[in-house]
Amino acid sequence: MSTFPAFRPDHRKQPELEVVPARSGAEVLLSALVGQGVDTVFGIPGGANLPIYRHLPQFPIRHVLVRHEQGAAHMADGYARASGRVGVCIATSGPGALNLVTGLATAHFDSVPVVALTGQVASPTIGTDAFQESDVIGSCLSVTKHSYQLRDPGEIEEVVAEAFHVARTGRPGAVLIDIPKDVQQAHLGDDRPLRRIRRHAAPAPAPEQQIEAAAGYLSGARRLVILAGRGVAIAGAQEALLKLALKLDAPVGTTLLGTGVFPNPHPLGLGLVGFMGTGYCNRAVTDCDLLLMVGMRADDRVTCRLDGFAPRAEHIIHVNIDPAELGKTVAADCPIVGDARDVLERLAAQAEPGSRPEWREQVDDWRRQHPLRHPRNGRLQPQEVLRAYYARRRPADITVADVGLNQMWAATGWSGGESGLFLNSGGQGTMGFALPAAIGAQAAAPGSRVFAICGEGGLVMTVQELATAVEAGLPVKVLILNNRQLGMVRQFQDDFYGGVRSQVDHTVTPDFPTLAQAFGCYGEAVDELAEVGPALDRAIAHPGPAVLEFRIDPEAGIFPIVPLGGTLSEFVECPYP
Amino acid sequence: MPVPVSAPASSARLLLVRVEDRPGILQRVTNCVSRRGHQLLSCAVAAGPEEGELRLWLRVHTGMQPPEQAALQLRKLIDVVAVEDLTESGVREWTLGLFEFLAPFARELETELERWGAQVVERTPERLVAALGGPPASLDAARTELAGLGLGDFARGRPIALHPVVPQEA
Ligand SMILES: Cc1ncc(C[n+]2csc(CCOP(=O)(O)OP(=O)(O)O)c2C)c(N)n1
Ligand SMILES: [Mg+2]
Repeated sequence: MSTFPAFRPDHRKQPELEVVPARSGAEVLLSALVGQGVDTVFGIPGGANLPIYRHLPQFPIRHVLVRHEQGAAHMADGYARASGRVGVCIATSGPGALNLVTGLATAHFDSVPVVALTGQVASPTIGTDAFQESDVIGSCLSVTKHSYQLRDPGEIEEVVAEAFHVARTGRPGAVLIDIPKDVQQAHLGDDRPLRRIRRHAAPAPAPEQQIEAAAGYLSGARRLVILAGRGVAIAGAQEALLKLALKLDAPVGTTLLGTGVFPNPHPLGLGLVGFMGTGYCNRAVTDCDLLLMVGMRADDRVTCRLDGFAPRAEHIIHVNIDPAELGKTVAADCPIVGDARDVLERLAAQAEPGSRPEWREQVDDWRRQHPLRHPRNGRLQPQEVLRAYYARRRPADITVADVGLNQMWAATGWSGGESGLFLNSGGQGTMGFALPAAIGAQAAAPGSRVFAICGEGGLVMTVQELATAVEAGLPVKVLILNNRQLGMVRQFQDDFYGGVRSQVDHTVTPDFPTLAQAFGCYGEAVDELAEVGPALDRAIAHPGPAVLEFRIDPEAGIFPIVPLGGTLSEFVECPYP
Repeated sequence: MPVPVSAPASSARLLLVRVEDRPGILQRVTNCVSRRGHQLLSCAVAAGPEEGELRLWLRVHTGMQPPEQAALQLRKLIDVVAVEDLTESGVREWTLGLFEFLAPFARELETELERWGAQVVERTPERLVAALGGPPASLDAARTELAGLGLGDFARGRPIALHPVVPQEA
């Protein structure tokens, strides 16, 4: 690593005496952010946001200087997922703003409250194809919950207040504020009329009759399954979920985004549902007579072929805070619009306690028939690495998964007793998410240990953010499951595209320990199972960011897996004993 | 009894959307419709009903998605105040047509226009323009009949409708 001594302020040329307006738009913006409780922002300065950066040092806001704006958006996302607060990222106009798009989409599709602030060319030049002009509002229309382009500095305070309110209220999402440079620089008079902030309310609590009806169905069910999604984490409903499950003696599966909301291993835990879910969870959903889905959307990765999703269910109760999610894919006869925690607590209060020994016995039978298996061929298996990792997990730890096989192995292997935070990009499946999101999570939760589990393909998409982690003193630990290929795509080609392996081999990958060291991180590579635990312990003990490369079996795959177009019950199991 | 939502036969809906009159609102609304896999067939815009609001009448082909999704997704937009699906409400749709006739004018033109109840809104030696309001189907019928009388350009607005009166409980 090369470091350059930072110029000390006294070495710098003193600025020319400049006339700074008493309160510029930029200052109003920054004080509005402070007013919203913002303590950390992630960003990169550039021509169109320099007035903001000119005043940033005056405000009690930590700025994490990222190396690519996509990283800033993922960091704001990780910060928000880890803290439940709104994450904030900043970019300049044009390429800076457009670099945020993937990160905003990732956050928005997973219902994460993020506010992005983009600089824009000065108002009079908007529409002239000015230098670094881009229509970021237009580009982000379908990946944000709402967006604003400020035209009048008098609006700044209320727009910021409204943007944060919109981002966090009801179903959370990404909000964009685009701020032309002249608005940042404008001087504000004192006689600004404060207009009202528009109402954007969370839905009212679900009506009592709906809760009563649902509680009645739950009490009467013989073969009951609960599926839980990220809405449970957003609402902080993990305890309520466990309480209801215990009261009803009901097995609980989770979606990919719901991973971590239910403790595992647990006698009632079914693990992951869906396309790459556990065999026993998918069989339980296929056979249940009542399905309660809470805080989840039921997308195609969960349901697989729709006519095979809970085909024997006499009732489906679907709880979501977003009314548009009810009936979008699965028609529930008992749809409930509401906050997961409120609904689960009320259901737990009303449902009759019950035990379902026959159903539990059946589910346990499936557990024995379809255990998660992996080959034992002398090569390092990803599941073995993750077992060692999860054995070290503490409840406050934060696990962030990237995308691909690594993500599915991490989700299916989720373990460690209590519920906890497992963050990943479920809606968009954005490779490169884990490292920056972990950095953001670490900034939000300095007392937690934060781990990013990555494939070698996804990591190199945002690997430059290791510099950010080192510079900002955010000691994330990166665990690379290196199979030297785009593993998930390779498995799809093997399983669903005639076995033609096309453009999936990484014949060249960086020497990761050296790469890590070049960025100033701890780095180590591991080939042997016996070395996995000790290496994890060394990385954990290292005070700064660390990278462990696990050189795993390149042929390792994810099992079970439902063939494309198949139903949940048609899952294919690991061919090896 | 739960039934998985199957791809419904595609259907056209008429939605009345009340929005705040903010910059970019039409772009947001049309983007929302198309992004959700529906096809926007037409859009009429008028002011009101409240100060600072607009009313939009969207005719939407709901394609492969459940038909109620179009209204549900629009309702999530922050600038949208309310969405009503008028499709099965029984309200009458109304639209305005402008008919242009170029000189020389047919002898029976004026009588025919009168018979249809059209109003002459512009008359010069070179051309005559008549306006006719009515349900879309009747404007189509007028267009067919008047075609034989030297009809030039024809422009028809997109349908609008007032939202239905909800009967008061006794
Ligand atoms: C940005 C992005 N590009 C492409 C994909 C498609 N994709 C999904 S998984 C995957 C392979 C990931 O490879 P790697 O990061 O090495 O993880 P592995 O599956 O090998 O564990 C690809 C290319 C994606 N999800 N995101
Ligand atoms: Mg790989």
